[in-house]
Amino acid sequence: MASNPLVSDRDVQFLLEEVLDLGRLLRLPAFADHNQETIELYLASCRRLAREVLFPAYKPMDEEPSYLEEDGAVRAHPLMHVMYPSLVGLGLISATRPAEVGGQALPQTIGLLASVYLMAANLSATGYLGLTSGAARLIESFGTDTLKERFLPKMYGGEWTGTMALTEPQAGSSLTDVKTRATPAGGYYLIEGSKVFISGGDHDLVPNIVHLTLARIDGAPLGIKGVSLFAIPKRREEGARLVDNDVITAGVFKKVGWRGIPSVALNFGERGDCRGWLVGEPHQGIKCMFQMMNEARLMVGANAVATASVAYHQSVAYATERPQGRPFTSKDPAAPQVPIIEHADVRRMLLRQKAIVEGGLGLLAQTAYFADVAEHETDAETRKRARLLLDLLTPIAKSFPAEAGQESNSLSVQIHGGYGYTSEFYPEAWWRDQRLNAIHEGTTGIQGFDLLGRKVVAEEGAAFLFLNEEIGRALSAARSAGVDPTWGDAVAKALEEIGRLTLHLGGLGLSGQVESMMAHSHDYLNAMSLLVVSWIWLQQATAAHKGLKERPEHADFYRGKLQAAQYWIRTELPKVNHLVRLAEEVEASYLEMRPEWF
Amino acid sequence: MKILVTVKRVTDYERKVKISPDGLSLVTEGMNFVPNPFDEIAVEEALRLQKAHGGEVVVISIGHKDASKEIRQALAMGADRGIHVIAEELDPDAVARLLMKIVEEEKPELVIMGKQATDDDANQAGQLLAGYLGWPQATFASKVEGLDSEAEKAQTPGVVIAGGEATVIREIDGGLETLKLKLPAIVTTDLRLNHPRFASLPGIMKAKKKPIKEVPVASFGVDITPKVRNVKYAEPPARKAGVKVADVAELVNKLKTEAKVI
Repeated sequence: MASNPLVSDRDVQFLLEEVLDLGRLLRLPAFADHNQETIELYLASCRRLAREVLFPAYKPMDEEPSYLEEDGAVRAHPLMHVMYPSLVGLGLISATRPAEVGGQALPQTIGLLASVYLMAANLSATGYLGLTSGAARLIESFGTDTLKERFLPKMYGGEWTGTMALTEPQAGSSLTDVKTRATPAGGYYLIEGSKVFISGGDHDLVPNIVHLTLARIDGAPLGIKGVSLFAIPKRREEGARLVDNDVITAGVFKKVGWRGIPSVALNFGERGDCRGWLVGEPHQGIKCMFQMMNEARLMVGANAVATASVAYHQSVAYATERPQGRPFTSKDPAAPQVPIIEHADVRRMLLRQKAIVEGGLGLLAQTAYFADVAEHETDAETRKRARLLLDLLTPIAKSFPAEAGQESNSLSVQIHGGYGYTSEFYPEAWWRDQRLNAIHEGTTGIQGFDLLGRKVVAEEGAAFLFLNEEIGRALSAARSAGVDPTWGDAVAKALEEIGRLTLHLGGLGLSGQVESMMAHSHDYLNAMSLLVVSWIWLQQATAAHKGLKERPEHADFYRGKLQAAQYWIRTELPKVNHLVRLAEEVEASYLEMRPEWF
Repeated sequence: MKILVTVKRVTDYERKVKISPDGLSLVTEGMNFVPNPFDEIAVEEALRLQKAHGGEVVVISIGHKDASKEIRQALAMGADRGIHVIAEELDPDAVARLLMKIVEEEKPELVIMGKQATDDDANQAGQLLAGYLGWPQATFASKVEGLDSEAEKAQTPGVVIAGGEATVIREIDGGLETLKLKLPAIVTTDLRLNHPRFASLPGIMKAKKKPIKEVPVASFGVDITPKVRNVKYAEPPARKAGVKVADVAELVNKLKTEAKVI
């Protein structure tokens, strides 16, 4: 079997050069140091590291997870020790950060696409760096200069890693209920409490791990306004030495997937000697976290697309080589069997995977593009518009790949048949990995609340109007490029239906009927996801039409794009109508269901 | 110590090449190009030697104008500057004679080249260059991996330089041999010499400011008329279906009479 490309290079090139306007990004002053060549070289390095180093280590890491050893230590997989210096050396942790903090000011669009290769190769290995990057980012945004000096160079340099230590046994999605205590002790706080599910929370890759932790300062008000953010290192610096900071690993979870990176339970301050340093203002912890949430959620979306992508490429290769059965029309049992890709029903599954993977990647690239514009465009109005679009698209870019990705990964198992259900083959492992993405960084349910309850109604629905404009622009571009007009009509109709529903639900909210408004937030999220991904496919169809004319030598690639666009718009988009009806009529089966009736 | 390294732009070994309809060339339209993997090993070796002994690493590419990207990648790995001789496809002899001119001007103590390029697999340029210069050469340089840690392995050069001499372990049929060469010398690299590093993002950004001197091929006054002519390209014959034999006797018979291997 040909080696798995993890992600299609041609698709990444298509997104950057033919769908999104990379040139416009590169003209922004923030990205003045970059050009086509720096971007190509960076993508090339990431691809090769992913294919040659990370991917071969995936299976051994999945098969031999870390555990709490008798001496109380948690050790990373030996292969992780070998790979870690290469991953750090690439410059991944601070790639998109500005030069002031040692970064290279890479556009997020590029950073994300490059990371997708690494994630597709080895989700867990990449996770160590992604978590460090996220944790350092919080200190960069909210920490004092002293904290920045103490932590940032070491974290961005990969000498120390970082985690997000938020969840407690009784406070998972509901972070306002965290109980970990912080007692002021002059210059620092003494921390006491327990955290669970801390990915990368203990290992021996580096001498120190910095946990960005939510805790309550003694006497803080109850609820969301009493939670503060702290940096709590595993070991604290005393002079030139690192000494134990009373952070104890209580256990390592046995997980379904992501087995290459340990998720641990941590106890802070069992001996009353755990020191933490406040990041940001007291009681502003949740607010700090919120500002980082878009990025963290896009990362989860990228994890999901990556995991679906590597499995999709494996499916295509397997279906091309596996002979099984004969065409319906063949009656001769002596005729050779055909590769299963010759069966239309197998192509149905492959095309569905393609539509999810490439639609998801396109959505993430588009969303990251808005993030770059929102942060770096010179014109304030354009920045604000992009910010609202980014906010609106983020819950979709997180949940769509996570949910549809599970289906896509499941299809990969299906295409491999009985072999797919064995651990001799990869698809079952990716299927297990994928399952987490709908859970962490805000469950799919929470993404639905966020979209309908917060993002769509923000600034009197401005974001939805901007999305309307964007889709309108894509519709006319598709028309002039010669895309089948029925596709555009279908997208316009779905947009109109969802627009009407949004007004209706917004009205319910304004009149105080919040329960009715939110009853179908999940269906609303699904309807919006179908619409947004159809918009992404319409843009790709437009670019494919142009490509067919200008670069006929790539005809196979463009025809594949058009088939996937057609599949998505004809097969999936019509489901919007049904979902809109459920939400509009406030179909009440589970709303009225009583706990005692189960 | 000054080290010259060559980097050739070749078609991506991950992709299938297509032969033009007339059978006289390969289709380059739509092809992806990468640095010759053996040359990346040469760059890595030069960088490790530079770390151990100081000096300068100069990267040379002779070829298409877009080969500046392959030079830039070597600079991003850590090399100091580049020389780009812009030329169309050349045969190994022309390449060796052009390199000789550059060596005469740059006066390096060591030239490290890939043993061959993965596009035409000629395996000649290094040997020809050594011949033209009258320098000692060690081809197919390799390395014996000891029990060092992975981190040490990733830094130690395979070529040992001391007292004006280079000690090179080389792969030969049936084993390894060790040569001592007086510097200046030519070394060509084999697969097991090292694992080349990946260009890091900070390295890529630094490389933007490193100079690449572009030199038109005509300025060397070297006759580059090919001595080698491509007569025809052809796909290897497709594999034929196998046959089942009834018993050992039939198998032995077929091996004798049809395959003629015993």
